[in-house]
Amino acid sequence: MALSLSKKIFNFLIQSGPIIILYFLSISEVDTQFSNIYKILSFNFQIIIIYYWMLREPGSIGNGHIFFAGLINDLVMALPLGTSAISYLTVSFVASYIRNMAVNMTLFTDWFTFLIAIFFSNSIYLFLISNFSKFQYDYISILYNAFFTFMFFPIFWVIFGNYRKLMRHN
Amino acid sequence: MSSSRDDFTIAIRSALLQRGARQKFSLFFLICLSLLIFFLETFEFKFMKNFRSLLNDGIYRVSSLASSPKDFVFYLNDKIKYHIFIYSENKTLKEELEKLRSKDFQLKFLTTQNKYLKDFLTSSEDIGNETILAKVLLDKDSPFLKSILVNRGSQSGIKKGMPVVDGNYLVGRVVEVNYLSSRILLLNDLNSRIPVSIEKSASQAIITGYGEKEPKLEYLPELFDAENGKTVFTSGKDGIFPEGLPIGKVIEKEKGVFVKLFSDPNQLSFVSILTPDNSGDGF
Repeated sequence: MALSLSKKIFNFLIQSGPIIILYFLSISEVDTQFSNIYKILSFNFQIIIIYYWMLREPGSIGNGHIFFAGLINDLVMALPLGTSAISYLTVSFVASYIRNMAVNMTLFTDWFTFLIAIFFSNSIYLFLISNFSKFQYDYISILYNAFFTFMFFPIFWVIFGNYRKLMRHN
Repeated sequence: MSSSRDDFTIAIRSALLQRGARQKFSLFFLICLSLLIFFLETFEFKFMKNFRSLLNDGIYRVSSLASSPKDFVFYLNDKIKYHIFIYSENKTLKEELEKLRSKDFQLKFLTTQNKYLKDFLTSSEDIGNETILAKVLLDKDSPFLKSILVNRGSQSGIKKGMPVVDGNYLVGRVVEVNYLSSRILLLNDLNSRIPVSIEKSASQAIITGYGEKEPKLEYLPELFDAENGKTVFTSGKDGIFPEGLPIGKVIEKEKGVFVKLFSDPNQLSFVSILTPDNSGDGF
């Protein structure tokens, strides 16, 4: 029996959830900076989304979308065009590599390998910014941002795990 | 040994070149494309500037639209808070009013002070330049950049470097101009440096942003007396900003001398962009 239109739309939204969140975070004013709560509290949610979904469900979030989300983020944040795209694609590359190499994936393997992804992503980002642009950056803020991104990964790992179950049921 | 190296090579190759069922481009291709875009922009190819300007106008509009649910939630939250606390606030205000009425001398003092403040406001209003009112489209907080986007661009006569004020208080300057929008670099951004003079002594300094709410005063005179509460004005020495625009008050901390800004950079809804006067003398 054919699915009703509203059910089809609902299914589409559920399946496209990670992409929608990724684009929304890149284009909207919504951010994950909580300096009003705690001075150094900020994390990069886009990297968490990209890493988790490229590792666990690569079909739900393509490299093309990651590339475009990166470009949009650069435009909104006034960064040199392509910086975030390269940074995000690096995360995607590490995730794809780990997916090809790993046999048994648990929270701890994902979490540990996420550290490698953050390291490469931020290193490339800083290399490009410090060598090829006139921007000045507070390296300590970037370090804190990377630290909290790493620390919050398990929370989103659990949330996304439940979301994947919802995706499978639809 | 050679087997593990083969596995490593295969995994790398697979990650870079393999495409999923729904993926049209390989990771390798997209990384190369991103690098190409990055270097084309870094080396300032003219067509990239126009391309970016075009994209900016489109993206900023969509961005503003996408942020509207968040703005609505904040608006609703403020309204609810306002209604919850209005009763107690009203009671407090009534008590305060009663106290003021009972003390004639205090009232007299307040009247004098009010007159002084009104005179101050009148003199500050006359900045001597034309202003363009602009609405803040996007105020996305970041640990790296402190800037806002406004809905006025080259179409409205905005040019790079123009000072931006909130009321009479300086908040930043225009650093990027598109056709329909512009980006304002706020005073607390790491890249912001503005020459200022400090009340009474007319000491000269540079106000430097460092990502926090309160920018720092640098290059102060050796024997500078950092008395809290002194007002900081633009000195106009850079030839970009008109002199005498109030910025904030001096606060001394352990780490140095800082400025508490008159206008909170996180609470901007509308700003005025100062254009040079018609005499042709600039600011």
